[in-house]
Amino acid sequence: MADTILSVRDLSTRFFTEEGQVNAVENVSFDVENGEIFGIVGESGSGKSVTALSVIDLIESPGRVTQGEIWYRNADLAEEFRESKPDAVDGDLVDIRRLPEGVRRSLRGPSFSMVFQDPMSSFNPSITVGEQIAEAVEVQRRARSNPRSTRSRTQGYGLASLIRDSLLPSKSYVDDESMDRAVELLDQVGIPDPEDRAEEYPHQFSGGMLQRAMIAQALAGEPDVLIADEPTTALDVTIQAQILNLLRDLQEQEGMSILMITHDLGVIARMCDRVGVMYAGEVVERGPLADIFDDPVHPYTQGLLGSIPDVDDPSGRLEPISGNVPSLLDSEMPDACYFADRCPKAMTDCLTRIPEYELDGRHSVRCVLAEQEYDPADAVDSVDGGEAAGEVSADD
Amino acid sequence: MTEPLLAVRDLQKYYFEQDSFVDSLLGRDPTSVKAVDGISFEVERGETLGLVGESGCGKSTTGETLLRLREATGGAVTFDGKNVFEMDDDELKTFRRDAQIVFQDPFSSLDPRMTVGDIVAEPLKIHGIPESAGDESKREWRRDRVTDLLERVGLSANHFDRYPHEFSGGQRQRVGIARALALEPEFIVLDEPVSALDVSVQAQVLNLLDDLQEEFGLTYLFIAHDLSVVRHICDRVAVMYLGNIVELGPTDDLFESPKHPYTKALLESVPRPSTAEHGRRVEALPGDVPSPRNPPSGCRFRTRCPEVIPPDDLAIEQGSYRAVMDLRDALAVGDVNQDHIWDAADPDREDTEAFIEEARARHVDDELRDEVASVVDTALGHLAEGEVDRAGETLRNRFESPCETRRPGVGDVLHPAACHLYEGSDEVIVVETNAGTAAEADD
Repeated sequence: MADTILSVRDLSTRFFTEEGQVNAVENVSFDVENGEIFGIVGESGSGKSVTALSVIDLIESPGRVTQGEIWYRNADLAEEFRESKPDAVDGDLVDIRRLPEGVRRSLRGPSFSMVFQDPMSSFNPSITVGEQIAEAVEVQRRARSNPRSTRSRTQGYGLASLIRDSLLPSKSYVDDESMDRAVELLDQVGIPDPEDRAEEYPHQFSGGMLQRAMIAQALAGEPDVLIADEPTTALDVTIQAQILNLLRDLQEQEGMSILMITHDLGVIARMCDRVGVMYAGEVVERGPLADIFDDPVHPYTQGLLGSIPDVDDPSGRLEPISGNVPSLLDSEMPDACYFADRCPKAMTDCLTRIPEYELDGRHSVRCVLAEQEYDPADAVDSVDGGEAAGEVSADD
Repeated sequence: MTEPLLAVRDLQKYYFEQDSFVDSLLGRDPTSVKAVDGISFEVERGETLGLVGESGCGKSTTGETLLRLREATGGAVTFDGKNVFEMDDDELKTFRRDAQIVFQDPFSSLDPRMTVGDIVAEPLKIHGIPESAGDESKREWRRDRVTDLLERVGLSANHFDRYPHEFSGGQRQRVGIARALALEPEFIVLDEPVSALDVSVQAQVLNLLDDLQEEFGLTYLFIAHDLSVVRHICDRVAVMYLGNIVELGPTDDLFESPKHPYTKALLESVPRPSTAEHGRRVEALPGDVPSPRNPPSGCRFRTRCPEVIPPDDLAIEQGSYRAVMDLRDALAVGDVNQDHIWDAADPDREDTEAFIEEARARHVDDELRDEVASVVDTALGHLAEGEVDRAGETLRNRFESPCETRRPGVGDVLHPAACHLYEGSDEVIVVETNAGTAAEADD
């Protein structure tokens, strides 16, 4: 693990809703190596976005990260907490879940930052794009001069500040230096005429331009790890190609690592060095790109790959996975492999919880097929034939 | 070949802004948004024609307009030999039975307060089917029919009394398909039927659509933005860009030897789910799709085209020409700000040389040579003096492309491409429909 920048171990996140406990992320482990792009792929509701939010500590009530460790390589932090929190330090790695809230918050920006899926709803429509990026720069500048200060503009809301702001002439939160840096960042992400565009509001930007602006904002803190949650899902393919090129260029220039979350296996194939496949809150298979795409072991990974029509080869019928994505309600989750009821190769051994098997140190899979051949005699008869989905699932 | 089931001729659909009574009192002229601007295609019986393009290219508007769900601004649609836009009430009612639509979003296209059974039975009720049911009551007849339909699309009879919220996205889309099938149509417009679904469920629905087509001899117009889905399900494909069809051809032909530069770029951009894709760098199309309020003259794609044609008498490399054209477009839309250039070059605004240097660095992506360089410098010189229009004019005089003066049409061959690079793409003259005559209320 010499070059690991981020190492997530047994992470679980639960949502405590009125309908019951939802196990959105369960015992998820993966590593992101320095300077690589690690991809998490899965269908909607598989927990991939919640995993990203858990890493950056943005899970909101009623959700909570209930267990797990998130080891992050940072020599300065490790030095700082070596004495006071020996449990949380291992060499240069620190377990950020055991650090105080204020410290975790201060990591957002310089250590981790995030690009969200929908650029149109992620910006404040009433503040210029330039100022919103400059704000991110300003927060980092203030934090650098006072490392543990986590005050940001948004914390100033309240009755007192409302009265003060209405009496005193307003003053800008960002100063000119941050604004200049914002223009530089806009230029870096390929926005033409950045000085003028910085003065514009989000509705004056196209979707692709706004996604570039959001990437600029995420770069403001010069993060070690950029978390990109479906960064191109809302965009057309030609614009997607622009954004993917941009992300790759930035990754090479800045030497950062990217955690890329997407449902699109094509995007994963183009961008990622290693991949984790998620299903029902678990990472079911994880390994280098070639292992996952050319030599998948888990039937879900195989099914996912078989479901995609090939743009270069129209022949053949698609081989979809039967049934629907399962409910993640704790009370409805079986004490078995979560995929067993849709799995074409389910066996009696699958009716217990399956541990993660290591195949060759880099490729791991949560499936009994890692250790034994499929034996039809041992098959479970719980898969309904054909693609007719029998049961109505309770999730929406 | 026999007569096509559906023939679309020069279909236009404009939306008008500032078109209200108040606007006319205030003397504002309506402005048009040219969502669909003169497209023609035919759909043969039993085939699947794909209509693909990026968001905002007018593909969904085309689907809805040809079903007369929106009033067309111009053109004609012939279904089974009859002009859809001139049908009287009886004919229209028959047409509504024969032509159906499945919408994109399975969450908003089903009434949340009706049971699935009622949703699928509703078309039958509206069209008074059955006329007589023999021994059973009509209600029972319909219930049997709906149950059959639900089973046919992969749901079960006991789903009849459930409400849409109890179903997942894929199952709801099956309900939408069952509803479209209820009247035994000949023709179904599938408006992005799988784009809201996850890949594993998407594959189930695509297989289902395939089976249904075979079983009932259906004709599909399949609207999609996902090229791999289109390749899988369609017999022929029409590619749309900004309200125009740019290329139309048999699927394999179009995917294996695309002609139009836009089609090529689209195919190039699609990320393939295979290890060979890793690290593949796509030459992405620059910029964004222009606004349909004010589309480019001539060829709609010329502002982003990597193969835009230079004037005959000009020796210029494509890279340089593209850079010059980009500069012209930037000037035209006001993306070039002289003040910023002056601030960076010479705040005293005296050194024109420095201005030109800086402007070139900012707005011209290529090293220009000889005549091209001198014309561009002259234009930037005008810009330095604040004469934006004159700068644009200088460039236009020397660099005007045939792509901007003539609009390419889709020729009458098997695999036409609306591009001046190809023979068979004759020029089209599109009659600008007068905004005043087309007062309509559906936008």
